Amino acid sequence: MEHAVIQFIDLQYGDVLALLAIGFVGGLVSGFIGSGGAFVLTPAMMSMGVPGVVAVASNMCHKFPKALVGAHLRNKFGQVDVKLGLVMAASAAAGVWIGAGFQNQIMQNFGEAGSNLYVSVAFLIVLTIVGGFVLRDAINVYRSGETDTQDKTSRLARWVQSIEIPGTMMHFRTANIRVSALFTLPLGFATGLLASTIAVGGFIGVPGMMYVLGVSGLVASATELVIAFVMGFGGTIKYALHGLVDVRLALILLAGSLFGIQLGAIGTTYVKPFMIKVVMAAIMLIVAVSRGLVVPVYLTELGQLDFTPRTMAWLQMASFAFLVLALCVGAIIIIASMLRGHREGAMPVKESAPE
Amino acid sequence: MIRGEADAVEKSKPYPQLLVSGIVSGALYLLLYLYEREVMAAFTRTDDWYPALPVLAVFAFSFAHGAFAAYFWQVLGISARRRR
Repeated sequence: MEHAVIQFIDLQYGDVLALLAIGFVGGLVSGFIGSGGAFVLTPAMMSMGVPGVVAVASNMCHKFPKALVGAHLRNKFGQVDVKLGLVMAASAAAGVWIGAGFQNQIMQNFGEAGSNLYVSVAFLIVLTIVGGFVLRDAINVYRSGETDTQDKTSRLARWVQSIEIPGTMMHFRTANIRVSALFTLPLGFATGLLASTIAVGGFIGVPGMMYVLGVSGLVASATELVIAFVMGFGGTIKYALHGLVDVRLALILLAGSLFGIQLGAIGTTYVKPFMIKVVMAAIMLIVAVSRGLVVPVYLTELGQLDFTPRTMAWLQMASFAFLVLALCVGAIIIIASMLRGHREGAMPVKESAPE
Repeated sequence: MIRGEADAVEKSKPYPQLLVSGIVSGALYLLLYLYEREVMAAFTRTDDWYPALPVLAVFAFSFAHGAFAAYFWQVLGISARRRR
């Protein structure tokens, strides 16, 4: 696609303020759970009149330096496993490539409505299952009264860690795990596949690192920032080669998100470890509701349902409202738990034995 | 382990650094506002090394503005807490 056909929008003051605010909240959530924000930023820019592809490109261009700043800060806190992040990112790149090809196939065969339906149903299924699982785990931790302890290693992760495949074993020092690359590769691949489908690979990457590899929530969410940096950097170059990046949008988003991501990263040192799971589950499940609301819209466009245009407009508006709600709920939980952590004073984190 | 936290608490707040990084960051954003048309024309070109411009720009802004944001939180007294 040539840049000449793209109409870049005239930015109004209201748009700038909205981008600053949404950038800050998106950054706050990203700094805390390693991803998030992208699912609101892209549709928000599109609602301002930014063409979809430019919104995706500009979002990606703001994401990678933001992730770099977040990763650098959380690395100082000893939470980032750079090696695991790079290994996951390498296979995630392959996932993005395959996922993008698959998207193109769906677009060609079923048109834009078919593609939108596929993305929404993928969102709905993945977020409901994974988000529900993360929430159940967070509730179990809360009920057990062990909210101050580091995450327990899941049964699946203990099995994964027990498998010895000569020539493929890798040791990840910060994550404190030794697993076969044959497990990290498909996980990174799935992260990339999801990233190319719904633009938020972290919704698979972070829970995957926690429950499949046995990485703690703190380290998994911090390591996800490395993956986000690598993928965002690669994606930006790809879009910039086609002249699709609106650098003004990227830089305005950065102005807010660099404040947010640092606050979110600092926040991880104040809260109980299981709060990462609470925030992640809350956001994932609310986003799932948002995507569920637009499924009838796309089914109507495909002629499978018969909704009036007015009803479809309402559903789309409600869907966007739920996306904003997801981000706001995440930000409120983060700030509230930071304040609570601040009041309660320093709490030593106990290391726990496996289940 | 959070390094240097105790030192940071002991030191006085970094007002000069906040001011300098704020001026640099503000100047960069002012340039973007004043030369918006020229920037958009150059940054969306696809020939030669022009596609590298958006990448270089976000790195430069992140460096200046990221430092400003860090000093801002520090001045407000919001810094990482030692946990282990």
